[in-house]
Amino acid sequence: MSAPYLHVSGINKRFGGLQALNDCSFTIREGAITCLVGPNGAGKTTIFNAITGFLRPDSGQVEFRGRRISGLSPQTIVAAGIARSFQNLRLFAEISALDNVLVGMRGQFGEEPLSALFRPLKTAHAQAARRITGREILDQVGLLAQADTLVRNLSYGEQKLLTIARLLATKADLLLLDEPASGLSAGALAALMALLRRLQSAGKTLLVVEHNTRVVQQIADDVLFLHQGHLMAQGTPEAIMADPALAEIYFGGALQDHGP
Amino acid sequence: MDFLLSYLVLAEIYVLLGLSTNLLVGIVGIFSVSQAAVFGVGAYIVAFFLMNTSVSFLPALAVAAICCVVLNIVVTLPSLRVSGDYFVVTSFGIQLLATAVFTNWTGGTGGANGLPGIPPPDVFGIQLASNAQLALLTSIMAGLGCIAFWLLMRAPFGRLLRAIREDELAVAAAGKNVLRAKVSAAALAGAFAGVSGGLYATFLSFIDPSSFDLDASILLLTMVVVGGARTLAGSILGPFVLLALPQLLSLVEIPTTIAAAARQLVYGLLLIVFMLFRPQGLLGEKL
Repeated sequence: MSAPYLHVSGINKRFGGLQALNDCSFTIREGAITCLVGPNGAGKTTIFNAITGFLRPDSGQVEFRGRRISGLSPQTIVAAGIARSFQNLRLFAEISALDNVLVGMRGQFGEEPLSALFRPLKTAHAQAARRITGREILDQVGLLAQADTLVRNLSYGEQKLLTIARLLATKADLLLLDEPASGLSAGALAALMALLRRLQSAGKTLLVVEHNTRVVQQIADDVLFLHQGHLMAQGTPEAIMADPALAEIYFGGALQDHGP
Repeated sequence: MDFLLSYLVLAEIYVLLGLSTNLLVGIVGIFSVSQAAVFGVGAYIVAFFLMNTSVSFLPALAVAAICCVVLNIVVTLPSLRVSGDYFVVTSFGIQLLATAVFTNWTGGTGGANGLPGIPPPDVFGIQLASNAQLALLTSIMAGLGCIAFWLLMRAPFGRLLRAIREDELAVAAAGKNVLRAKVSAAALAGAFAGVSGGLYATFLSFIDPSSFDLDASILLLTMVVVGGARTLAGSILGPFVLLALPQLLSLVEIPTTIAAAARQLVYGLLLIVFMLFRPQGLLGEKL
């Protein structure tokens, strides 16, 4: 049996008096869209930080394609093939959409001062090629027309799509998306879900933090239910949604007020 | 004519120093108030070699540039741990420390009395004694500096530095080595400051700590703000405007005793007015 695609085992992380992650373990399948759900404060973003090297867990480990990645730098983890987005987007607002994508591309000639200074022609050539690739990536997420627009002038929905374009630029295979659908209009939401499906068909594996249960039902192959930093349940969207105990945790009894 | 040439030489020296400050403060967002200290180290090193050894100007300038590269990396390192306002305080401390060393290390720097009699630069065996010759040298140096700055900013390196200024964490998430980019920028800024310091020492033939103190660092920031942060044009324009001011003030009838204070007053007012009403400077972007 081959090693699981991403295997998180026994992660603990304590912030002062708060046990943010408590023996958190799960695996995700290659090529699947896995949704990470759970109430506020369940540790969803914290586990993202632990997987991507932004946070060093107190104990436990993360393996990606059979290779241990916990303890590596964010840079090394991106190179290994995992990239993440942020709930608060963290785009570069004062540069263009295309430049945001280009910052995400790896191994660029002229990204060090000496090559930029002494090989200006090769740098310019390499850049011209990169810009073409960058436009293709923007086209994939439907932002080609906005390529030269400054990010602060893009709509919120466009900015959310751009965060995904920036992830695609890294060529990572496993994309961790932190609430990509929150705050989107119905039209933008449909476009986003279609995009996630296209990425899946193109061979990407997605781990998505999502609150909207309808979105989860439509896109998820697997659902991970996180509560108080611990994996409570893993299963198909139908199975997770049907579990009354999980609904109780998730909605905090609000459902009962509207029940029969 | 001679007066105009010396204005040109001095302005070009400050253009190089302005590029150094603009790179750190404007582009990367490392708010350093100690660039005059690095400038000073460049000046003292070149003065030392020309006064005490038979080393000629260009090798001395190279040594000064290398020392300032190392020095600027060291003094910028705290910015990797403390950011924003906290780094300003750290950098302030570095500037005070440097002034204390310049003033008290009489064996090396001549202390508060300064170092008089620094010989003019010699390039390939030619002594550059006249202002016209010096202007040619500083024009070439400033020209090279501007070309270098332009090449760096249009390359992926420049984009990476701008992105780091906006969101360091997001740059790390994109798989980039933020540390290496910041150290590279600090090294380049150090080289620019070191070269301009060397030119300054040989042009004036006299240096003392007052050229490299906190006031000088603030003047430098004022040049960047007034000219315009983050752009090449702003870095060029700023020094020319700010260095013309003392000359304009000298046209006004004020006693020489308060001329220096009046100059500081005008610089301070300019900085405040620009920050309030035109933060993008004359030809730059909002800092």
